[in-house]
Amino acid sequence: MPDEIRSIDCNTAVSKLWDFLDAELDDEKMREVQKHLTECSDCLPHADFNRRFLTALNEARQRNIMPPALREQVLSALAADGYFPAR
Amino acid sequence: MAERREDEQAKNESFARDALPWMDDVYRFALSLTRDPADAQDIVQETYLRAYRSWHTFDPNSDCRRWLFTICRNAFLRSRQQGRLEVDVTDADAEAIAAAREHRAMIEDGTDRLLASVDLGPALDRALAGLDEPFRSAVQLVDVEDQSYESAAEILGVPIGTVRSRLFRGRRQMQRSLGVHARDAGLRPASGPKGSRGSQRHA
Repeated sequence: MPDEIRSIDCNTAVSKLWDFLDAELDDEKMREVQKHLTECSDCLPHADFNRRFLTALNEARQRNIMPPALREQVLSALAADGYFPAR
Repeated sequence: MAERREDEQAKNESFARDALPWMDDVYRFALSLTRDPADAQDIVQETYLRAYRSWHTFDPNSDCRRWLFTICRNAFLRSRQQGRLEVDVTDADAEAIAAAREHRAMIEDGTDRLLASVDLGPALDRALAGLDEPFRSAVQLVDVEDQSYESAAEILGVPIGTVRSRLFRGRRQMQRSLGVHARDAGLRPASGPKGSRGSQRHA
């Protein structure tokens, strides 16, 4: 018999929305929020907006890169401490 | 003598393999803490020196990036002669609900639709840099560096619930900044509909 997914209200869904988008809920709660978003046209835009926001924020990885000289600077400091690169 | 040399070589090889590839990530985290590129570079160097000196304590079965982030944060706190940041107690669920309420207002005045049409990157970078600690670290670790709540809690030395509340507060403040960005960029309509049916739904 398939497990019945419990229905939750908007308040519960929205309060768990960030956890849902971060995949930090247990499987049962993930399914509950997912089901609510599928059925609720009021909550879905919040999820879409937050998903877009998180994607754009994560792209900061590509925007903020280390200055090229820093790696050499760190390796020099490490070398003074006994580090030598593998040959 | 030869044995010691082999130990040193093994240490250097494992350090090069496991620790050095994360320098970019450590730099981003350091930059988010210091908000100053020169200070961030000093912190990165300090982090790697400390990591190298205590490499024998690193468990090779654990997550090296998480370990480096922890050292990085400690190096930052030492550089500022700060102790542990005070734990802020807020209700994370309430933060999530408040964020949805504010987003509802953005939908009503059209900001949401307009933001969908612009590159959010520069505005998000400014918003993240403008966040106060301890919110900035939580957002940087989870949203930029892809750390789980549990990992971020370990790095920051706080309970998971505190990471959630800091993270959700930080995200809400950043989303609010995006609204300001839209207004400054002339994106936001002069006025929007008031008191639509959805405004009380998540209150």
